[in-house]
Amino acid sequence: MTSPDRPDLDQLLAAWAAARRLPDAEAERIRQAIVPPAPPLQATWWSDFNEKISTAIARATATPGPALAALA
Amino acid sequence: MPPSRDDAAVFTEIFDRHRHAVHAYFLGRVADPELARDLVQEAFLRAWRRLSEIAPLPPDKQRAWIFTVARNLAIDSYRAGAARQAAEAALRHQAATEEATVAGPHLEAESRERLAQVDAAIRRLPEEQRVILSMATAGGLTSRQIGEALGEPAGTVRYRLSQARKQLAAALDLEERS
Repeated sequence: MTSPDRPDLDQLLAAWAAARRLPDAEAERIRQAIVPPAPPLQATWWSDFNEKISTAIARATATPGPALAALA
Repeated sequence: MPPSRDDAAVFTEIFDRHRHAVHAYFLGRVADPELARDLVQEAFLRAWRRLSEIAPLPPDKQRAWIFTVARNLAIDSYRAGAARQAAEAALRHQAATEEATVAGPHLEAESRERLAQVDAAIRRLPEEQRVILSMATAGGLTSRQIGEALGEPAGTVRYRLSQARKQLAAALDLEERS
């Protein structure tokens, strides 16, 4: 049993853990030291992306050769 | 080949999930905050290099993988003598100065002094108890998780944790809850 004005062991350990725990800023410094920065996006990424999408849609919706032959 | 954005995101998730536990382990092993941080960085650097192997694992298996690396690093560090020297220097420093070094400026002097006493008492624990206590408090791991990480039965972990608490309570002149 502990007196009200006297911290118990759990409180002291919680305070110790909070003081000793790896700070977020230090953790981020470590993470950045490990993971090299990803290459930046190319300036043309949007037009490249659109081109790929357009090509995929055109291929998917084009009438296949046998169907065209049947219509002829 | 530069890492992809996905790799970095996956690694960050693993890092954030396990960093407190790994740091707490090294803090208990080497008792020197600077060295503990260096070892955390080295452990996760190895995880980064083997990301494709670790990423598909469930979190408990990831933790087991990282702790295998961490235990080997701690052993290597001991062999190199750095950890032992740092721990001894830290103990001498603590005994000589009695200064509060663990608390931030926001804490009152009395609290800082109390925390310094706790810190000194934890440093004086046997290493096997100090590691488990650190992992349980600063790392937030359960006895089962600590046991899996260290390759010890959960019952052994609970016993050592109980012993550590009893020793701390005695050292700090507190009554320990049974």
